[in-house]
Amino acid sequence: MQPQLLPEFFALLGIDIFLAISLLTILLDRHFPAAVPYVYQIAGLVGFGHLLASREFMPLFGDYMRFWYCFIYLIVALANVVVVNIYLATPKKLWKLAKIFFGAVTFPTILMSTFFVSGYANGAKMSLPLFPQIPMGFLYVALVTCTVVLSVGIFVSLKLTRSEKNIQKEVKEQHG
Amino acid sequence: MDKGRILRNKPLKLLTLLLTSMLIASASATVYYSLIMQPSVTITAAVVAFAQGGDWSAVAGSIGTNATWCSLALKAYPNATLTYDEPLNLTNSGTGVQIRLRRVSISPASGNSQVGNFTFINFTLHDETGVIKGSLNYTTTGDTWSTPSMAFTAMDASDEWYIAIQTKAVAGAIANIVADIQIAVDVQE
Repeated sequence: MQPQLLPEFFALLGIDIFLAISLLTILLDRHFPAAVPYVYQIAGLVGFGHLLASREFMPLFGDYMRFWYCFIYLIVALANVVVVNIYLATPKKLWKLAKIFFGAVTFPTILMSTFFVSGYANGAKMSLPLFPQIPMGFLYVALVTCTVVLSVGIFVSLKLTRSEKNIQKEVKEQHG
Repeated sequence: MDKGRILRNKPLKLLTLLLTSMLIASASATVYYSLIMQPSVTITAAVVAFAQGGDWSAVAGSIGTNATWCSLALKAYPNATLTYDEPLNLTNSGTGVQIRLRRVSISPASGNSQVGNFTFINFTLHDETGVIKGSLNYTTTGDTWSTPSMAFTAMDASDEWYIAIQTKAVAGAIANIVADIQIAVDVQE
C-alpha cells in the first residue's frame, strides 16, 4: 500500500515556499522594501506554529478541516510568489527579471503544488469534488515536456551566444 | 564597525535569514515526520467481504458477522460432477486490491482411507464478466489430497466476483463421508 500524504504536507510546502521567497527577496533586496524578507520569515514561522497546533488538535479537527486550512496556507504562499513576480514585472518594470523569476520559481512551484494537491485528491478517503483527478501518467508527460523545453532553451541561447561571438570576431578581423 | 553598517551588510543579512530558514524548515519537517510516525488504528468495515450469490439457497450456507467469514454445506455425487454456479460472491467496497484463495486445512487429512472417496473439490474464482481469475482445486491421488495454491490477482474497486464450486466423488463412494475444508481469502490493499 502506498504511503498516504497527510494534509499537513501542504502546510510544510507552504512554509518552504515562504522561506524560499524570503531568501530570494533578500538576494534581490534592491528591488524590494527592506521589511519584505523578514515578513516572509515570519509567515514561515506562523506556518510552523500552524503545524504544531495541527499536531496537538489532530483528532479534534478531522481530515477535511485539516486539509482545508493547510491548503489555504499553501494557496497564500503561492499567491505571494505570484505577487512577487507581478511586483517585479509591473511597478518595477523589470521584465527580464520577472520572466526569469516566472520560469525559475513561479511556474515550477505552481506546477509542483498542483501535482501534490492532485495526488492527494486522487488518494483521499474523503470526497474533494473541487479538485480534478489528474492521472499520474500526465506527470511523466509534463516532466518530459519541461525537459524538452529546457533543452531547446539551452540550445537556442548557446547558439545565439556563439553567433554573437562569431560576429564580434569577424568585425575584429575586418578592422584588424 | 558601527551598528548601521552591520544592519545594511547584505551577506550578513543573507546568512542570518538562511540560518533561520534552515531552522524553521527542519523544525517543520520534524513536526511533519512526527505526525507520520503517530500510529493510529481505526476500526473500519472490511474492504472485501462475502455476499450471497445467486445459488446461495443451494449450498445451505451462513454468513457471519461483518460478512468476513462464511460456511457452506456442499454435496458430492458418486461418479457425477456437481456444479454450484454462483453460490458465493466476493465484493470489494474499497479501492483496487490483490486477492487470492488460500488453503488452510482439510479433513480427513491425507493418509486417511476416507480421502479416496473423493475425486475433486474445486473452487474457481470468476470476475463479474465470468472470466476465471484463479482456482483452488483439491484432487485426490489414492488417499492423498493435492496441495492447491492460487496466485494473487487484481480486483478493481466496487467489483463483485463469484466463486463457483465443483465436486465429485468416486464411483461407489461410501455415503455420508464428510470433508471439511477451510479456505482463507487473502486481500492485499
